[in-house]
Amino acid sequence: MSDMSEDLQTNRLKELKETALPCFQCGVCSSSCPVFRVSPELNPRVSVDSIISRGKVPSEGNEWLCAYCLMCDQRCPMGVSLAEILMVIKNISAKEGQAPPDVIESAESLMADGCQSPISSRSEKQREDMGLPKLPRADPEDVKMLFRATGAAEVLELNRSTSGEASE
Amino acid sequence: MKFAFFPGCTMAYRLPFAEKSIRMVVPHFDVELVDLAFTCCPEPNTVRALSDDTWITLAARNIALAEAEGLNILTACAGCHESLSLAKHELDENPDRKNKVNELLKDLGLEYKGTSTIVHVHQLLFDEIGIESISSKVVRPVPIKVVTHTGCHLLRPERVLHVDNAEVPVKLDMLCESLGMVPLEYMDKTMCCGAGVRKINSVTSYAILREKMTSIAMVEPNAIVVFCPTCFITFESGQRVANRIFGTDFKIPVFYYTELLAIALNLPETDILLAEHRVKIELPTSTETKEENKTETKDSIPSSP
Repeated sequence: MSDMSEDLQTNRLKELKETALPCFQCGVCSSSCPVFRVSPELNPRVSVDSIISRGKVPSEGNEWLCAYCLMCDQRCPMGVSLAEILMVIKNISAKEGQAPPDVIESAESLMADGCQSPISSRSEKQREDMGLPKLPRADPEDVKMLFRATGAAEVLELNRSTSGEASE
Repeated sequence: MKFAFFPGCTMAYRLPFAEKSIRMVVPHFDVELVDLAFTCCPEPNTVRALSDDTWITLAARNIALAEAEGLNILTACAGCHESLSLAKHELDENPDRKNKVNELLKDLGLEYKGTSTIVHVHQLLFDEIGIESISSKVVRPVPIKVVTHTGCHLLRPERVLHVDNAEVPVKLDMLCESLGMVPLEYMDKTMCCGAGVRKINSVTSYAILREKMTSIAMVEPNAIVVFCPTCFITFESGQRVANRIFGTDFKIPVFYYTELLAIALNLPETDILLAEHRVKIELPTSTETKEENKTETKDSIPSSP
């Protein structure tokens, strides 16, 4: 990683800490979190504390367990949005090649097809049988151009090489 | 009213009967739909998690396509609605970001201006058309007991979305009442269905669903009514996956709201909508009683939701 992007990363982490700082550890985020209810390894209250003190979640990779349902965001009395903080941490983690394989797969599909999951001929046929119109599709070259120009193509490339699970 | 229709990937290619129901009902309320070359919204938990800039640029491209036609966007999926609404909010509040996005869209002959609004079918029916107008058109009431699940991405963030009260959503219940249904209260009404972490950790995802379904099953509804194709798939196919994992015994039918609206308007061809459901329900006519509902489950294994 270049010095410049490292500086950028450090600044983003500093900003994140500042966003989390108003937290006074009341725990309403934890009691509202559907993931914490069934998987105590993602504890929102402890995560915010860890972000303030160490600039990261308590256990590496836990940010990906956030369902982004925004219950923590809704109920925090101090306006701290843990879901949004974790979204930024996911971006950082993806830039380090740590994105989960299924997330990479969905993004690859979007880059190739303009759609999150590959469009099968069976589903096209099902639409036709129901009298639904054939939907116009984006030019794949336009989508690829935007992926390249905005950083996702690079992130995908990096994650492919780290996971060794290229789906070409 | 004329809209650029945004069914979204999940509805278009995995739940086409729900899309069909929307296309069946809207002409009865003088609404016309136009199809444009949209991409995926894109979904926040994957593309946005990888690159926030890519997410906002693709969302801006989608909105700009509708703006070029002078149309507002009608969304059908809660996820698409949230994604496009959050992107629009960010672009409208942050001129630097808008300019950066427009530099790229220029190469595609597009510009994000901020002139089109993002409206979900929920808002079209409740806020624009209204329950009085809907109930005046009902010829075949649907007298069943239901629970509603508006969906995380229609309710939150409340400061941006304004679809319903995020802690006490009631509008979908009122829409159900207008078709003759009896909406029931239940404990975890605003809780997530679990779909958000299915790609990351499926057991956690189905454990969330188990919690949600347990809360729903306590009030013994005849069906679950949703306004999101992803929530639909999670509840309908997912409850059987949860049954396999946790030994539970959930088999509650699920409807996308406009399917029930099509039935209540007594439109032809509603059979083809119901034929695609994996958990069957025989809908009673208004003179029948609830005891006559028959619920059965298909034996086939669902495709992974």
